[in-house]
Amino acid sequence: MSFIFPKWANTLPLKVAVGAVMAASAAGAGITYYLTPKWTRVGYTPKQPVAFSHKIHNEQLGIDCRYCHSAVEKSWFSNIPASSTCMNCHSLILKDDPKLALVRESYQTGKPIPWVQVHKVPDYVYFNHSVHVNRGISCVHCHGEINHMEEVQHAKPLSMGFCLDCHRAPEEKIRPVDLVTQLDWKGVVDGKKLVHDWNVKPGQSCSTCHR
Amino acid sequence: MKTIPPVCPEPESGPKYWRSLDQLAERPEFRQWLDQEFPSGASIAPEGETRREWMKLMSASFLLAGLGGFASGCRRPEEHLTPFAKQPENYTHGGWQYFATSMPSRGSAQALTVKSSDGRPTKIEGNPLHPDSNGATDGFAQAALLNLYDPDRAYRHTFQGNDVKVEKVVDQLAATAKKFAATGGEGLAVLAERSSSPSRAALQAKLADKLPKAKWFVYEPVDFAVSAQAASIAFGSGVVPHVHLEKAKRILSLDCDFLSTDSDATHHIRGFAKGRKPGDGMNRLYVVESLQSLTGGSADHRLRVRPTDVAKVAAHVASFIASGELGVALKALAKGSPASDKWAGEAAKDLVAHKGEAVVVAGYAQPLAVHLISNALNALLGAIGPVVELLPDTEKNDGGIAEAVAALNAGLDTLVVLGGNPAYNAPTELDFSAAAKKAKTVIRLGYYEDETALVSTWHLAGAHFLESWGDARTSDGTLVPVQPLIEPLFGGLTEIEVLARLLGEAKPAPYDIVRATFGRDDQAWKQFLHDGFLKDSAAKAVTASLDATAVAQALASFKPLVASGYDVVLYRDAKVDDGRFANNGWLQELPDPVTKLVWGNAVIVSPATGKKLGVTEQSKDGRKDGGDAAHAHDGQFKNQFIKVTLGGRTIEGAVWVQPGFADDTIGLALGYGRRKVGRVGSDCGFDAYAFYAKAGGHIVTGAKAEKIFKKDYLATTQEHGLMEGRPIIREANLAQFKAKPAFAQNMDLDAHLPHYVPYNDDGTIKNIYKHPYKQNPETKSEVHQWGMTVDLASCVGCAACVVACQAENNIPIVGKDQVMRGREMHWIRIDRYYSHDADLEVTGEHASADPQMAVQPMFCQHCESAPCESVCPVNATVHDEEGLNVMAYNRCIGTRYCANNCPFKVRRFNFFDFNKRETDYAKVQGQFFLNTGNLYKGPLAENRNEAPNWEIIKLVKNPDVSVRMRGVMEKCTFCVQRIEQAKIAQKNIAKGSSDVRVPEGTFKTACQQACPAEAINFGNMLDPESAVSKLKKDPRNYTVLGFLDIKPRVTYLARIRNPNPAMPDAKSAPDSIRDYERFRHENPFTDESGHGHEGHPAAAGAAPKGAA
Repeated sequence: MSFIFPKWANTLPLKVAVGAVMAASAAGAGITYYLTPKWTRVGYTPKQPVAFSHKIHNEQLGIDCRYCHSAVEKSWFSNIPASSTCMNCHSLILKDDPKLALVRESYQTGKPIPWVQVHKVPDYVYFNHSVHVNRGISCVHCHGEINHMEEVQHAKPLSMGFCLDCHRAPEEKIRPVDLVTQLDWKGVVDGKKLVHDWNVKPGQSCSTCHR
Repeated sequence: MKTIPPVCPEPESGPKYWRSLDQLAERPEFRQWLDQEFPSGASIAPEGETRREWMKLMSASFLLAGLGGFASGCRRPEEHLTPFAKQPENYTHGGWQYFATSMPSRGSAQALTVKSSDGRPTKIEGNPLHPDSNGATDGFAQAALLNLYDPDRAYRHTFQGNDVKVEKVVDQLAATAKKFAATGGEGLAVLAERSSSPSRAALQAKLADKLPKAKWFVYEPVDFAVSAQAASIAFGSGVVPHVHLEKAKRILSLDCDFLSTDSDATHHIRGFAKGRKPGDGMNRLYVVESLQSLTGGSADHRLRVRPTDVAKVAAHVASFIASGELGVALKALAKGSPASDKWAGEAAKDLVAHKGEAVVVAGYAQPLAVHLISNALNALLGAIGPVVELLPDTEKNDGGIAEAVAALNAGLDTLVVLGGNPAYNAPTELDFSAAAKKAKTVIRLGYYEDETALVSTWHLAGAHFLESWGDARTSDGTLVPVQPLIEPLFGGLTEIEVLARLLGEAKPAPYDIVRATFGRDDQAWKQFLHDGFLKDSAAKAVTASLDATAVAQALASFKPLVASGYDVVLYRDAKVDDGRFANNGWLQELPDPVTKLVWGNAVIVSPATGKKLGVTEQSKDGRKDGGDAAHAHDGQFKNQFIKVTLGGRTIEGAVWVQPGFADDTIGLALGYGRRKVGRVGSDCGFDAYAFYAKAGGHIVTGAKAEKIFKKDYLATTQEHGLMEGRPIIREANLAQFKAKPAFAQNMDLDAHLPHYVPYNDDGTIKNIYKHPYKQNPETKSEVHQWGMTVDLASCVGCAACVVACQAENNIPIVGKDQVMRGREMHWIRIDRYYSHDADLEVTGEHASADPQMAVQPMFCQHCESAPCESVCPVNATVHDEEGLNVMAYNRCIGTRYCANNCPFKVRRFNFFDFNKRETDYAKVQGQFFLNTGNLYKGPLAENRNEAPNWEIIKLVKNPDVSVRMRGVMEKCTFCVQRIEQAKIAQKNIAKGSSDVRVPEGTFKTACQQACPAEAINFGNMLDPESAVSKLKKDPRNYTVLGFLDIKPRVTYLARIRNPNPAMPDAKSAPDSIRDYERFRHENPFTDESGHGHEGHPAAAGAAPKGAA
C-alpha cells in the first residue's frame, strides 16, 4: 500500500495554491515597498561638506526659504545658494568659526562647495518648482519638515505615485500663496474653493512631466 | 464589438500624385516596396549569434552581474550640486537667456536671437525685432549651432602641421606686421571672404592706409555680387539691388532660385509669401530655369530651357518691352530663343500691365548679360524704387581669386587667408594650391583644418560666430552686432583680431574694435546689443536712372555660350552650400528640397537625357543589365555611374533622373567630395569643382557624358512614407478658388463623409477609433486645446522647419546606410509631389518632363481619435488633456505597432542608440545580412564618447527635451516643452487667480518659429481670437485623410496657383485637379457637397445601410 498517497496529500493542491498566493503577495508587497523610493530614498541623509542646519536658520532665526533659494519662484530649479549668499551674514556673524572654513575658502577662491544632492527626480522628469510654489503648494509637501532638520533628509518618496496623489487631489494640499514658505502652518482653508477659484487643474497625463 | 472601417474608394486607374518615376510607371519593385511596411532590411534581426545563444550568454552575464551587485550594493551614486561661489547678477539658475546676435554670410547677415541654457547656446532663432525679419531663419542658420560643437573643427593652431601655442601665433603675426610695416606692405596680400562688417572694412581701410602696397583680394566660389556688378553698369554707379518681393504682383525669375539657393532666401521667401495670399492682388510667378528648383516648383508658369538659353529667353521677353538701341541689342540676343513668341509676349504684356508692381530677378549662375537685362527690365517696368531699392555698394577690393593667384605666381611673400577654402573651391584653371606653395608664408585663419590648411604654413583656429565679437550688415543695410554667447571653446581667433595684429597692434580686443567702430554713447551701445540691430540704420536707397546705352553696349559685346554636347550647371547646394557645411550632420542628412537625396550629390539629368545615356528608369528588365539606373531595388537606389568629361577633366558619379530638368543638361551640386574634412563630410559624393574653371563659371557647355561600368548607392528619402495617391494636397487656380472658395472641403470623401461612416442602429455615428474626450469628457481641458494649420499657398518647401525641429528636439542623425533603410529620424518631412498633365499619356517620360510640383510639410497630425493609440499594448502613446498625442518614452517597449497603424507614417523608431554610438555617416555597408557597420556591433561598437573631443557634441542638446534611447518610438510632440513652459510662465503670473490661459502669441513651436513664409500657425483653438481658430474657419481649410474619422489637429490650407489665362501653357486647373476630375468623375468646383457619390456606383454601393 506504500504507493497510495497519504491522506494529507488531499489538501496539498489547496495548500500549494494558498502558499503560492501568499508568496506572490509577499513578493509583490516587498517589491512595491523595497524596490521603490519609499524604501530606497526616504531617510537618505548624506553627510554634507558644510554642516548647514535648516533648523537654526529657519526655525530659530526665521530666515525665509527664498532668501537662499532665490530662484524657486522663477525657475524649475530651486537653487542652492552661492557661497556669496552665505557670506552676506557670515562675514559678520561667526566669521571665524572653523565649521565655516569651507564657505570662506570658496568665497575667496571662487571654488564652489560640492553639496551632496539629496532630492533628485530622474532626468526624464521635468519637475518645476516655480509653478508649485506660485500656486499654493508648500515646500513641506515634498521636502517634509525640512525647517526642523539639522541635516537634510529625504523625507518623502518623490515617486510618480507620490506626485500623482497630489495631482489627483490638489485640494488637500493647496494653501494661500503667501503661506507657501510657512512650513509649520496648520491653518484650515477651503481647498476646494481655492482649486475652483484659481482654476487649478493639475495635469495627470504624461506630457505634464515627461517631454 | 467589431467596428467596420469606412470604405475608401480607390481611384480607378493611375495615380494622381506621384512621388517617383517608379511609382508613375507602376513598377513591380515599387509595389513590393510599398507593400512592405518599412523598406527592406528595416525589420531584420541582426545575424551572428542565434537568439538562443544570445539568451544563454546574456543570462550568464546577468547572473554574474547580479552576484556582483549584491556585494557592491545597488545604491544610487552620490551626486553633487555645485553652486556659484559668487552669484552673478541677473542670473537665474535653470532659466534661459536670449542674446541678440547675427550670423554673417557672404557680404550679408541674418539677425538672430540665440537661446543660452546655463551658459551654452542651444538654439538659434531669428530676431523678430529686426526691421527686415519676422524672426525666421534659413536652415543654414539653424544648423550653424552644430558647427559650434563640431568635434572636427580646428581645435589647435598649427605651424607646418604641428601644434603651436597661441603665443607663437601672436609672435608670428607681430613679426609679419613689423616686416611689412618697413616695406609699406610690399609682398603682402590678404585673401578674404565677402563680408559686410564695418569693423573689418575699417581695418581694411587702415591696412590700405598703413601698408599701401598690400593687396586685398576677395573670393567667394558662389558669388552673388554679379547682380551688383550688373546694376552698377546699368545705373552708372556702384549699387546693389535689394528686392522687396512683397511689393511685387508679377515676378519673372531668370534662372533665379530666390526661394532656396540664391542670395538672401529668407528675406525673399518672406516677401514672396506675403504677396501670395490667395485672393485679389495675389502675385504671379514666371520662372525660366534649367534645373528643377523650389522656385520653379512655386511657379505659375515655368519654362524649362537649357541653361545656355536663359539669356536668349530673357532677351526675348525683354525685346517686347524695350525699344530703341536696347531693343535692337535684345532682339539680336534673342535669336534662337526656345520660348514661343506667345509665351514671351504674353509674359511681357503681363509684366507691363503691372508697371511699378512687376520685378525681374536673375540667378547668380547666369552671366552678367542676364543680370543686365533684369536690371534694364526693372527700370523699364518702374520697379526701381517701389520694388527694387538700389543700395550703395561700399565694398572695395583689389581683385578676386584670379588676381590673388597672379600675385602668388609673381612671387608674393606672405598671403593671409581669412576664412574660405580656396584650395578646395578655387577655379581649376588657376591651380591655387600650386600657386600658394610658391609663397614664402601662408597664414590661414580657418574654422576647419581643411584642404587649404594643407597648403598653409600657419593655420590659426577660427572662432565660431557664437564665440566672437563682430558686426555686420543685413541685406537691407541695417547694422547688426555679432556678440558671443560663450568663450571660444578651443581658443579660436576672429578675423578682425588677426587683421588688427597685422596692423601691428599688440593686444587687440575684438570687443574694443567693434565698440570703436560703432562709436556713439554707451546707452546706444547697450540698446544695440539688446535689440540686435541699430534702429534706422538701413541703407538709404540711391536714385539712379537706367543707362540704356551702356546696357545695350554691354549686351552687344556679350558672347553667349554656344551650347554643344551637354550643358553642365554647377549649383550651390541647398544643404552644404559651397562646401562650408560639409561637416554638418544635420545638413548632410537634410533631404535636398527637390531631389530628396541625402549624404552626397549625384549626376542629375532629365528623363529624356537619361534615356539618351542609356540609364532611363523606364527599362522594364532593368535588373538584368547595367542599363538601369534610377529605380528602387528592394527600396535601394544602386545607381549607374556616369562619366562626364569636360575640357580634359572628368567627374564620375551615380546618376539621378529628375523630372523637370532641362534636357541635355547635367546638374552637379557643389560642395561635396571634400578631400580633407571631418568625420561627417568624408566619402560624401564627388567634387564638382573639377569643372569650375573660372570664377563665376557655374554654367559650362560642351561636356560629354557616358555610362561606365560602376554603380553606387544613393540615399534618398523621396519615396519614404508614400500616401497612396489620395488627394493629400488640394489645389486650385485662383479663378476656380474665387468661384468656389470651399472647394477643398468638397473633395475626396470629406464631401461624402456622412454617407460613408458606419452608423449604429440608433443612427449615431459609430466611431472607428476611440475618442479620448468622448469616453472621458472630464479629462478635456477647458483652457487650452492646441491646434495647427499649415498654409500650402505660402509654404515653398525650404526645409528650415526640418532643421529647426532637429535642433529643438534633440533628433539624432543616423547616417547614409540607415537612411537607405528608411530609418531617418526627422519629425518633419517635406513631402514633394509631382503631378502631370492628365491629357498626356501616362508613359512616364512625357508626363515627367514638365511636372507640376507641390510640397507639403508632414508631421504628427495629433489625431483626436488616434489610430496609433488604439494599438499600443502598453499605453505609451496616449492623449493628454489639451489635445496632444503624447509619447511616454519610458513606457515604450518598441513594438512599432503604432508606426504600422499611423496613416501618415510620421512615427520614427530608434533602431539604435544613435546618440551614444558613432554612426557610419556616409559609409554604406551595402549588405543587409552581414552588416558590419558600427551601430550593429551593439555594446562592442565604438562609443562616441571615447573619440577625441566627442564630449563637446553633447552640449548641443536641448536640456528641456529627453534624449531618446534605442528601442523607443518618437514623433512630433507639438513642442510640448514649449507649451508646458508657456503654461508654467502664465501660472506663475496668475498666482492666486484663475487667469491661466496662455495668451495668443506667447510662444511658437520650433517649426513655426523658423518658417520665413509664416505658413505654420499654432495656437489655442479654444481662443476664438487666436490665429489658428480663425484659419480653421478659412474655406481653404481641409484635413488630410479626414475620412478615416481620425480628426487631426493639424489641418492644411489648400494651395492656390495663379496662372495667366493668356499664356500658351496656361491650364484651366492644376494638373492634380484635372486628374482628380478624370478619375473620380467628380468636380469639386461644381458638385454640391455629398452629391458626387450618386453618379459613382462604387462609392454609392459602399454607403452603409441606414445612412442619410
